[in-house]
Amino acid sequence: MGLLNFSPEPLPEAVSGDMHSLNQLGAQQFCALTDVLFRFLTEPKEVERFLAQLSDFASTNKISLGALKSIVKSVLLVPSGALKRNLSSEQVRADFIALGLSEEKASYFAEQWKLNSPALTRLAVGQTLMINQLIDMEWKFGVTAGSSELEKVGSIFLQLKLVVKKGGQMENVYMELTLPQFYSFLHEMERVKTSLESFS
Amino acid sequence: QAPSRDAVRQLCQESFSSPPAALGPLARRACPGLAAAPEEAAQLVSALHNLTRHVVYRGLTKPEDILALFPENFHQNLKNLLTKIILENVSAWRNEAQASQISLPRLVDMDWRVDIKTSSDNISRMAVPTCLLQLKIQEDAALCGNNPVVSAMTVELSKETLDTMLEGLGRIRDQLSAVANK
Repeated sequence: MGLLNFSPEPLPEAVSGDMHSLNQLGAQQFCALTDVLFRFLTEPKEVERFLAQLSDFASTNKISLGALKSIVKSVLLVPSGALKRNLSSEQVRADFIALGLSEEKASYFAEQWKLNSPALTRLAVGQTLMINQLIDMEWKFGVTAGSSELEKVGSIFLQLKLVVKKGGQMENVYMELTLPQFYSFLHEMERVKTSLESFS
Repeated sequence: QAPSRDAVRQLCQESFSSPPAALGPLARRACPGLAAAPEEAAQLVSALHNLTRHVVYRGLTKPEDILALFPENFHQNLKNLLTKIILENVSAWRNEAQASQISLPRLVDMDWRVDIKTSSDNISRMAVPTCLLQLKIQEDAALCGNNPVVSAMTVELSKETLDTMLEGLGRIRDQLSAVANK
């Protein structure tokens, strides 16, 4: 096997056998399997549904589930590597052909890749590391009526609660702002928005 | 018996600002200047503390109200001097009381920067802008006394999060205007 676009490292041994088995599938079956795979890739949380669909596919097409799982594992290496390396659909197609898949099947897969890659890229970007990600913000404001030092006060306070994801856990950050601080904060955040928009 | 008007003024200010626990040491410091016995100094400082705090608490601003607080046979000139000093300071003292009120931790500063993420372990090439916001938060002044603890927290916001946050802040602004216009 020559150099592949999607992976610089040597592939696991099972891959060539799996590709051969994949090639044996009829065109219709291959399309159906590809659809199942992309549905999973675009909704990675739906693991149970994916496994159920694989199981159905295996019984409908008289393939053993174990063999099917091995094939799926090998096939999924390609889109995952392609996503990391921002590969084009031509490159994906070329890789499948290099792996021994028929031109027809490789083209079909590459087409599906092209259709799905915006959604897949968005998903991958969404998983990018974020430091202390702001998850939620709650607020309340009111008037301080009195205190132990001052019988009548009448000043407005604004309280913010920020929910921040620190590592795996959520942390609540509470703070109070005076009105001038609030307006200044709002103004700064609008400047940030302008800045972010200019880079999008 | 105080040496000068300024000394009286100073003593009033210090008596107001000290929390009850610090009045003892303050009285001891004041003793030499007043040529008074320690117990007398302590009584004086305590009385000044209570008087000034009472004026601020009630929000008294008229001289007549303050003069009315003194007992009948109080030394006339001293009464007028104290009233004058108190009136001079009452609004600064009011601000001081408000600033040291119990509260949630307070925002004292904020800074931000916008970064562009160009690469990650999931995708080798991308151009995603993101915002880092640093908030400096000071713990409740009443708890920390003279050494307020300021902590800095840096949070990251995606563009979507920022948009949602701005929506929320906009609603706060609208609600504030509605309250102000009532």
